[in-house]
Amino acid sequence: MALMSVVSVKNLKKHFRVHKKEPGLAGSVKSLFRRKYKTVKAVDNVSFTIDEGELVGFIGPNGAGKTTTLKCLSGLLYPTSGSVSVLNYTPWDRKPEFQKQFALVMGQKNQLWWDLPAMETFILNKEIYEVPDEKFKKTIKELIRLLEVEDILKVQVRKLSLGQRMKCELIAALLHSPKVLFLDEPTIGLDVVMQKKMRDFIKEYNRRYKATIILTSHYMGDVKELCERVVIIDKGKIVFDGKLEEIIKKFADHKVITVTLAKEVDPKKFEEVARVKEFDYPKLTLSIKRKKVSEVAAQVLDKFPVADLNIEEPPIEDIIRELFTGKNYA
Amino acid sequence: MRKYFQVIKITFQAIFVYRLNFILWRFRALVQLLVLYFLWLAVIPEGTTLFGYDQAKILTYILGTSIVRSFILSSRSVDAAGEIASGALANFLLRPINYLKYWFSKDIADKILNLFFSIIGIFLILILLRPPIIIQNNPMIIFLTIVTIILGIILYFYLSFLLSMVAFWTPENVWPPRFLSMIIIEFLAGSLFPLDILPVGVFKALKLLPFTYLLFFPLNVYLGKLTTQEIFTGVLISIFWIIVFWQLAKALFRLGLRNYVAWGR
Repeated sequence: MALMSVVSVKNLKKHFRVHKKEPGLAGSVKSLFRRKYKTVKAVDNVSFTIDEGELVGFIGPNGAGKTTTLKCLSGLLYPTSGSVSVLNYTPWDRKPEFQKQFALVMGQKNQLWWDLPAMETFILNKEIYEVPDEKFKKTIKELIRLLEVEDILKVQVRKLSLGQRMKCELIAALLHSPKVLFLDEPTIGLDVVMQKKMRDFIKEYNRRYKATIILTSHYMGDVKELCERVVIIDKGKIVFDGKLEEIIKKFADHKVITVTLAKEVDPKKFEEVARVKEFDYPKLTLSIKRKKVSEVAAQVLDKFPVADLNIEEPPIEDIIRELFTGKNYA
Repeated sequence: MRKYFQVIKITFQAIFVYRLNFILWRFRALVQLLVLYFLWLAVIPEGTTLFGYDQAKILTYILGTSIVRSFILSSRSVDAAGEIASGALANFLLRPINYLKYWFSKDIADKILNLFFSIIGIFLILILLRPPIIIQNNPMIIFLTIVTIILGIILYFYLSFLLSMVAFWTPENVWPPRFLSMIIIEFLAGSLFPLDILPVGVFKALKLLPFTYLLFFPLNVYLGKLTTQEIFTGVLISIFWIIVFWQLAKALFRLGLRNYVAWGR
């Protein structure tokens, strides 16, 4: 075996018990005396392995179990059952040797000292992770350059913008050069320019340090640009694990034909040959079953005044949206 | 060890950020001290005694309590409950740092500042008011007072940390148990009146509990009211309670983490 698997998860389950309250004041009073509990299966029998240097994207709707899985991998949560191994450690033992080799960055929460400039947190983390002086100087210089933050290091964290703060969070989390990195929504709330910079940085970090990275995001852009491999989670279960382009092959049973018309035609006439997705003269978009594509394309060219015709795979965003709403995982 | 030293340093920095807040807190402590001083000066005129305490002793007790209180009965670990409830605790679980030691380091920073400003405050009062209080000049007794104060600090730290652990189980009910225990602790520690005015049986029972070692005991060591034998027994009892609370805090923390769901993250 050339590659060692860095993360290995077997039959991981994490169930929470939450209490339900009926709406309104009456429900509140009632819940003072008697509480109804229900079990939420946040992660339900999940297994996967990740090799060294892989950059894997976790996607799924809100509450699918992505963050809970990451929390189990980081040792924040004890699982209900199953086993997890990261760098051959069991995360929830929280051994310092393990903690010195990984980092979890959550876009929604910060570890920086609010009242002090970010540099102070960096120095604190240097001591906490016992990073030698020389290495610290080198790493921080490089991170500052890559993320372009020289000018904000002496500013109180509370006065930074969200984007600036996220960059500093990232530096604080990477000072000990973790080999394994879990990023939970690293681009949340950032503008497009900043999102792009963040993605470039993640890609660069992965390439340069051969770091193993798991990333969750709601932005397909993040995943499309960064991850070769994607794990789709829904309702605590893995519904897909493989290459991004395979999602299209597996779940998209249709292709999209875009027609540019030379003359105005009643769109109803098209319904005879295919399903019309969108019509905005002169552009017409049709959705066609994979098997019938060539047949329909020929018909369209034959029967209508066509200026241009294009056959494409449906956009990945659409496939995933349909997956999450239609829920027909084959 | 260096990491905890750095925590002390960064805590200092965080305190100094808000200068006005910082100065006002110290000023408040000084005013509080003066108010208490004048109140008791009026209550016990010179030459009278109260519960077997003459004016100098009671004034020393009262002023002493208010100073020692600011060292012992003040622990930043109150905020640990907030961190547990808000999920910020996760930051510490991810990094190779011990949460108990982290809070104790923050306390050290806090107490060093308190010490520094208390000395200035006492110095001012001594010079300006020339109060009739007992100034201990026996080096052995001063040493023993410092030892018992340090024991009191450690004891209260674990006690306070234990109370913060409540947040693991009922994150929304952190303050009621905290307030309730504070009232009881302050009373049993002797912050309202010297405990030896209580009936002998009650007082003897109290000496077995941890609370008297938070205030009453160190102050009586300072006043020179205790025999070597009594001091020795007291130190042993405080050490016993420190070990009990320390182990309990560690065990509850471990147990709490099993229950922890890192809310809101």
